Amino acid sequence: MKKITGAEIVIQTLIEERVDVIFGYPGGAVLPIYDELFKQKKIRHILVRHEQAAVHAAEGYARSTGKVGVVLVTSGPGATNTVTGLADAMMDSVPLVCISGQVPTHMIGNDAFQEADIVGITRPCTKHNYLVKDVSTLPNVIHSAFFIAKNGRPGPVLVDIPKDIQTFKAIYKGKKHTNIISYYKPNLKPNINQIDQFIELLKKSEKPIFYVGGGVINSGDIASRNLFKLIKSTGFPCTQTLMGLGAYPTSDNQCVGMLGMHGTYEANMSMYNCDLMICVGARFDDRITGKVSGFSPKSKKVHFDIDASSFNKSVNVDLTVQGDLSKILQIINKKIEEKKIIFKKNKIKDWWSQINKWRSKDSLKFKNSDKIIKPQHALKRLDFLTKKYNPYITTEVGQHQMWAAQFLTFNKPKHWMTSGGLGTMGYGLPAAMGVQIAHPNSLVIDVAGEASILMNIQEMSTIKQFRLPVKVFIINNHYMGMVRQWQELLHGNRLSESYMDSLPDFVKLAESFGATGLRTEKPSEIDDLIKEMIKIKGSVICDIIVDPSENCFPMIPSGSTHNQMLLGPDDKVDGEISEDGMVLV
Amino acid sequence: MNKKDLKHILSIMVDNEPGVLARVVGLFSGRGYNIESLSVSEVDSHKFLSRITVVTSGTKIIIDQIKAQLAKLIPVHNLLDITELKSFIGKELILIKLDVKSKKTFDLKKKLERLGAKILEENDLELIVQFTGSPDEVIKIKSILKPHKIIEQTRSGLVSMATGTDYIKK
Repeated sequence: MKKITGAEIVIQTLIEERVDVIFGYPGGAVLPIYDELFKQKKIRHILVRHEQAAVHAAEGYARSTGKVGVVLVTSGPGATNTVTGLADAMMDSVPLVCISGQVPTHMIGNDAFQEADIVGITRPCTKHNYLVKDVSTLPNVIHSAFFIAKNGRPGPVLVDIPKDIQTFKAIYKGKKHTNIISYYKPNLKPNINQIDQFIELLKKSEKPIFYVGGGVINSGDIASRNLFKLIKSTGFPCTQTLMGLGAYPTSDNQCVGMLGMHGTYEANMSMYNCDLMICVGARFDDRITGKVSGFSPKSKKVHFDIDASSFNKSVNVDLTVQGDLSKILQIINKKIEEKKIIFKKNKIKDWWSQINKWRSKDSLKFKNSDKIIKPQHALKRLDFLTKKYNPYITTEVGQHQMWAAQFLTFNKPKHWMTSGGLGTMGYGLPAAMGVQIAHPNSLVIDVAGEASILMNIQEMSTIKQFRLPVKVFIINNHYMGMVRQWQELLHGNRLSESYMDSLPDFVKLAESFGATGLRTEKPSEIDDLIKEMIKIKGSVICDIIVDPSENCFPMIPSGSTHNQMLLGPDDKVDGEISEDGMVLV
Repeated sequence: MNKKDLKHILSIMVDNEPGVLARVVGLFSGRGYNIESLSVSEVDSHKFLSRITVVTSGTKIIIDQIKAQLAKLIPVHNLLDITELKSFIGKELILIKLDVKSKKTFDLKKKLERLGAKILEENDLELIVQFTGSPDEVIKIKSILKPHKIIEQTRSGLVSMATGTDYIKK
């Protein structure tokens, strides 16, 4: 069999992994791979303008398709620029393979030009990483990288390939003949005994709630369908985390909205007062639990997850079931059918009437104005006018992100891409590019803030080059809104460095990149602007000038519990925020 | 160590590849766990496997979390919490160099040999003592030698295995 170069092996293995697009940026240490890329037509390369954006774009691509996103960057700064993106993908369990060039093996450790120990740097922010020192292992490494990225709890895998390895030759016989690491076997099959115990708890509960996270979306569309079936057959209420939006339709009556720091009153009160909490693919994150010692004190807690390290990490639960959620949910549904278990509405009637009382507080209400655009209103209109296009939404990080989570409808999984765990400002624009590449004919909107958007604004150039019709919807309040909100609440309204001075003219900025810029500050113009945005075939930046003083409510202040929510600007914190609360982020 | 903390001996079978120790140690430092003792060496040169013994401490929740996190590392093949087994042995090795200039060492040597220590090197100036035993026994040897002038000493991490039918799988 003919020997081929390491660079050729990279391309061949990617083709075998059915990669159709990679996001990258060339440089000295990956030139041999770029040369091979040039010679073929099966893989499309999207040239970004910054390597961080390549990773976020690959995340958007992966999260909206369920496939593995692929990134290609050079050594040194090319590789270190991916770190934020990799950390983001690690936190939100996004399957990625990032291939980085490295200085030739004999120069490693020599402080060579554009050398960085990227395997050392990314060890804690990747699921696994490799430095390839022998070209004959390259096929194994790349196929294993894909296997690791998508199996078990998904995550990013980095493969660092020195330049000499890219030019050395080895035999590649194809994926079938490679030795993908055999001992990495995530536990996918749930323990049936534990599922039986869960069903007993289900039957007994009078105040149950499903607490649904992004794990359901990662497990695939079958998991969402099985979850829908289960929730419908039980008649129980369901709340979703930021990552879980869309795993269960948010417009369904059994959905009580998002929970957590900026979740709805009914969701948080249900979590606080329930007698059975059914956590499906969520991880009891601190944004969700608030003060852990006062978290849902009266409930039995059941946790379904593929990752055993998520069990009892921050909250002690009564029953854990490890496995793939689509399998777990399928088995539960099957058992309910086989045993002909009927969930009587009567049993949870009081619970629902209590939830409906909480619901009637209408915790997402806000005082609208006909003089100044309220950010909530802008997003409500965006939701209403775009709903029929079933848009893909990405966001940056901050107030606009929370308002988008609160006011937009998510009835399908994989349509909502936001940086949840890491909270990466600058995520939304490149992520939207990745989504648009995967779904060229769909409406893709990046709901942004004027501060976040500037963190990866250079990607407008990528958007221009590839004619991506990405829409950017900037909620412009001239502040790092969430920072300012915390300064108001916790730091005596001293607005240290949170005002966004010297902003660009976003309309002209759009135009300079061949996109359309639309701007309004009048509530009466918002509908027309959104309709115009949808109508325009190319990319659009909408600069929506909103009330600069608006804050994001409801809110659980740091160090507080679910039943201590602030419902609006007039609601005061009960006494001072404790010192324990002050140190939390 | 806090009152509720428990000492645990974890035995970890890993691929003997570059960076594997950094992954294990980085997990402990990155997540704020303790390492009280560490020992690592190749145990299967055919399958390229190393065995790491870590002594750590924490509440039950922390220990469970450490084990779950370690099990997630890709090069980790198997993990055994030796402390949770019925019975086990744990040994350390210590080398101590004593200054014995113009001193009679006959009695000391007798005493050390009675306790199972070995004299590896002996001349007019120094005495090098090797002792293998449980951590408590090592501490005892050190206290016996305290009155003498210790030039230097070095001590290995704990190595441990279960007795009876329990063992770590490859």
